[in-house]
Amino acid sequence: MSTEWQSSPPAADYGVDELMITTLADLFQDDDQVCNGMASFIPVAAFMLARLTHAPGLIWLASAAGLDPRPDRVPASTLEAPLWRDSVMYLEQYGDFWNYAMNGRWIEKFCVGAAQLDQYGNANNSVIGDDYHAPKVRLPGTAGLADMGSIGKKLYYWNSDHSPRTLVEKVDFISAAGYLDGGDARERLGLEGGPQLVISNLALMDFHPVSKKMRLKSVHPGITVDKLQDSTGFELLVPDGAIPETRPPTKAQVKLIREVIDPDEMRKRGFRTN
Amino acid sequence: MQEKITTLVEAAELVQDDDVVALQNMATQAAPMALVRELIRQEKRGLGLVVLVGGMAVDWLAAAGVIDRLIGAAVTMEQFGLCQQYRKAVESGWIKVEELSESLLNARLGAGARNLPFLPTRGAIGSDLIAQNPDNLKLIDDPFKGIQVVACRALVPDVALVHAHRADRYGNVQSEPTILWPDIGIMPKAAKCVIVTAEKIVDTDILRRNPDRTVLPGFIVDAVVEVPYGAHPTSFFPYYGYDSDFHRAWAEAARDDEKAASFMDRYVRTPLTQQEYLDAVGGAALLGRLENWEQRG
Repeated sequence: MSTEWQSSPPAADYGVDELMITTLADLFQDDDQVCNGMASFIPVAAFMLARLTHAPGLIWLASAAGLDPRPDRVPASTLEAPLWRDSVMYLEQYGDFWNYAMNGRWIEKFCVGAAQLDQYGNANNSVIGDDYHAPKVRLPGTAGLADMGSIGKKLYYWNSDHSPRTLVEKVDFISAAGYLDGGDARERLGLEGGPQLVISNLALMDFHPVSKKMRLKSVHPGITVDKLQDSTGFELLVPDGAIPETRPPTKAQVKLIREVIDPDEMRKRGFRTN
Repeated sequence: MQEKITTLVEAAELVQDDDVVALQNMATQAAPMALVRELIRQEKRGLGLVVLVGGMAVDWLAAAGVIDRLIGAAVTMEQFGLCQQYRKAVESGWIKVEELSESLLNARLGAGARNLPFLPTRGAIGSDLIAQNPDNLKLIDDPFKGIQVVACRALVPDVALVHAHRADRYGNVQSEPTILWPDIGIMPKAAKCVIVTAEKIVDTDILRRNPDRTVLPGFIVDAVVEVPYGAHPTSFFPYYGYDSDFHRAWAEAARDDEKAASFMDRYVRTPLTQQEYLDAVGGAALLGRLENWEQRG
């Protein structure tokens, strides 16, 4: 497998889960430090793929606690011991992990999912509805995301259900700061970093450098801009000219994902079945 | 040195109605579930719960009407879904939530442990968590450079409940090599009273072989109870995995109040001892599977 992935042709047969994994994997290089939280099958598979292909020296903190682990495959939980297998170090959370995470020098990139994400990349994992104390839906809560949103991290959002329900004009509650009201609102609070990309099951999006509005970067093969706009709860910025297609996975990448990294198809959890 | 060994019943009696109780728990991991069941059997009321990431324990305490407020960063059973009884209680306004990020919670507990009025963090700035919680979080200027930080008011729980691999009769607590969440790293140090359940009570000489694995000194611990499989149905690495069938059964029952109540009668209220409980959930055959980390899905 060592070099096959480099010359491998595009896969004819792949799923959008696999495309999301390969797109995310491309973002990580040797010596980047990355970590994952709960129910994070897509990022975990992406880290494992990057380590098996272009970034063997990627430094992964499994569950933000187990340094450079060697799980034999993606397990049923991304917050349980099988993921930390053969770690080099266990990072005690209170004293250790948050020191490295808050410091600013390390763990620059962070992958995250959100129940709602708005046009300025603000995320909501807390409550749906207007009344915080009697919400329409109580979501799990922000966990470490609110911190990651404010301490200079580059945030990469993944969303397996691109819809007006999950991509909204304004989140009901800001669990983690994105670009707030847009423009320089984030900078005025002294916050660095912020959301960089949103990888959904339909498209890849980034943020306009000035207005900080979410902007289409590439559509996944077979998806039209109209379909995308209909599936988004706000007006997505669309650059002039032809919109590029997201690069599909290669044959070798798909083979690695299916046979080595995730033979139990944990990556398909979290996708809505229609 | 004072001996701390007691029973689950007596240990749970240290928790008073209306107390703020910090609970070790990470989604499907490491919760002192035997203590949680005893709190429910003793019909505690008005408890506030502090959790980093609460799981089934929170759902049971919510379903039994034991807690009416929660301070924490998340509540979920991860792959087994949201805690439905808790969710319903929050949505109806019965349980009030003070949602904190991990660094906000750690700072509040850290200040409690150090007897400081507050500790600052740079986490969560720009989020609505701060404006939502003016009693405990305030943006203040760093007196040296003038940048803004969040002052997080000290949190001193009345009681901390933790589960550990082993302890001696004096309350010295040891862990096997494992991932240590802030639960045991800071909660017991901030709390006024610490109750420990341990898989095994051992002679102090056993602890002396690996003093680097002792994580809590006996002088901060008030009660120790030997409870084998005391974290079931959550996992307790490296000893045993989470019980996936049991989690799935609860997640299903929790969607319906009557089914939830009958589930709790069967597994929480009826078995009065840990052995009765372990027999009810599947006995030796189940425990053997969990020790081999044979999860079903």
